[in-house]
Amino acid sequence: MNSVSPSAVQYVGGALQEELLEGQRTGSPARRLPGGPEAATEPDEVDKLKAKLMSAWNNVKYGWSVKSKTFFNKTSPITVLGQSYLLNSEDEVERFHGAFVSRLWLTYRREFPQLEGSSLTTDCGWGCMLRSGQMLLAQGLLVHLMPRDWVWLDAQQLEDVDFEVFRPRSPVRAGGVPIPSFGSPRGSGAPPKSLTGQQVAAGGVQRKRPGSARDRQAELHHRQLLSWFGDHPPAPFGVHLLVELGKSSGKRAGDWYGPSVVAHILRKAVCKTTEVNNLAVYVAQDCTVYKEDVLQLCEPSPSRDKGPQISSNGPQISSNGPQISTICPDTTWKSVIILVPVRLGGEALNPAYIECVKRILKLECCIGIIGGKPKHSLYFVGFQDDQLLYLDPHYCQSVVDVTQADFSLESFHCSSPRKMPFSRMDPSCTIGFYAKNQKDFESLCSAVSEALSSSTEKYPIFTFMEGQGQDYGLEGPSPAGPTHILPPGRLSSRSSSTRASTDDFVFL
Amino acid sequence: MTNPRTRSPSNSGKVSVNNNNNLICVYKLNRSIPSLSLLFQPTATRKLEVDGIRSKFPNKIPVIIESYQREKYLPPLDKTKFLVPQELTMTQFVTIIRNRMALLPTQAFYLLINNTGLSSMSLTMAQMYRDHQDDDGFLYMTYASQEMFGSASA
Repeated sequence: MNSVSPSAVQYVGGALQEELLEGQRTGSPARRLPGGPEAATEPDEVDKLKAKLMSAWNNVKYGWSVKSKTFFNKTSPITVLGQSYLLNSEDEVERFHGAFVSRLWLTYRREFPQLEGSSLTTDCGWGCMLRSGQMLLAQGLLVHLMPRDWVWLDAQQLEDVDFEVFRPRSPVRAGGVPIPSFGSPRGSGAPPKSLTGQQVAAGGVQRKRPGSARDRQAELHHRQLLSWFGDHPPAPFGVHLLVELGKSSGKRAGDWYGPSVVAHILRKAVCKTTEVNNLAVYVAQDCTVYKEDVLQLCEPSPSRDKGPQISSNGPQISSNGPQISTICPDTTWKSVIILVPVRLGGEALNPAYIECVKRILKLECCIGIIGGKPKHSLYFVGFQDDQLLYLDPHYCQSVVDVTQADFSLESFHCSSPRKMPFSRMDPSCTIGFYAKNQKDFESLCSAVSEALSSSTEKYPIFTFMEGQGQDYGLEGPSPAGPTHILPPGRLSSRSSSTRASTDDFVFL
Repeated sequence: MTNPRTRSPSNSGKVSVNNNNNLICVYKLNRSIPSLSLLFQPTATRKLEVDGIRSKFPNKIPVIIESYQREKYLPPLDKTKFLVPQELTMTQFVTIIRNRMALLPTQAFYLLINNTGLSSMSLTMAQMYRDHQDDDGFLYMTYASQEMFGSASA
């Protein structure tokens, strides 16, 4: 079993774990690992196997980590997007599971329609930061559109995890008690045979089905939201559009993207789309959030942000399409996603900022951080102790046709939580926040400011300022050149013999 | 006396020499030429220089701005030494440097103090200088954009 698919499980020794593996086998034939001897014996599986092998190779190539298991200890809380879980009870594990698996996971895809202006039909190997950006936006849209406590009811169980609580040496659950988070509720109707009914109930394998109207509504939204990230040109947040919007930043399909570039691409994408109402994206410049600029972006004046042409054509457009007409009576304060691109050090992450990053991830208004390890983008959603919890886009999957009414949601959720030490975090990242309304924004400002002040570094990672950027000389008419800084003659006089005098200095 | 500072202008030159990528190597060597004048200048000399300039212009802060040694996206600055009015805020200072480089507002640009920490935009140059001036009397800053991400595939 050397498969490198995310479901690859390399169990370390121990009777308990073997039993678990057994439980998984009996419980989920549908999800049996590819490459196992059983799979090869079924002829209709051969093609699938080939595809899986190819995908496995791709994933090795693109840096999907082959690490067998992620270890979670039970004594320190794990934080996922503002919520903390202490994994010392099954209920908490179950809550953590729900929180993690319900996040939307956007990965490399292959065989999608050709990207305009290139021959590429995949983003494998270059689009990871775009994918991380999609995940960040998707999280923003989840909190924007879904109930705060929404969890995906059809979620797969967690894989490749080792919760300390379930280890044999744990006094609480000594000896061979099944892990409730293993064994699959899907695929086979019957609960895993190795689990008794009582244990099944305790582990929540028999979850409540989407029965209520609210649940059904949420599932519709969930599906619609995912379709916006489809890998085809019409999708409002699909990779095709994001690449298109990146062109004005000098990026082309196949280029590598950075967290700041992606923040601006997301801003443009949300501004452009007519699918999402009442949402704006603000991208901070120079580590400063100008409150007045955010308020202006969100205030219910229709002439802002969507452009004056919409308001003037308002009645005309609204008669054409019901979707657009809903923007026009723009009387409520828009919700806002605030993106702050930062650089937390030179070559490596300045360790003084770690505590601050933790504090930020603990905030409920935080929707995650896009960054990664050097050259390897990740979407950070939480942390435990000195390790960041992340979703990794470096897993190359086949494209899913989101135009189908019942397209499969499974490949858009990740069931393998992974961690990495803060020390490996690349200093370049973009931090995301969400505020539903003006009051929310005010409390966001104070909560974030407080978290920022916790840094042991002298200055905060970024700051909130009253007023607008232009008050501080940021957005005024750009000077024609550096002429106001230096007399033009001075600029070109780069002579090597000037160092003794003040000529060597630029006077500002 | 050798210079204990790891972030001295000479550093970027050294690193680029070791760089395997020829294109970047040439680019970086070119870029580091303006700071070559500082290459063999010991701390004592720089201190004298600062003392001289401070006595002439007591209200100006002597600042050295260098490119982050692996910076690939931002254009090189034509000068590295600046005399900055002490009442200028970091925001204004950054704006001036951005304009000098003709950057778009959406382009990522960070000034790292002593190559490690972000500065606070609301502080004045005098405050920055008070907290972070080097032994030689200069305030050192490194400018960098952001790294790009992608797998190094074949």
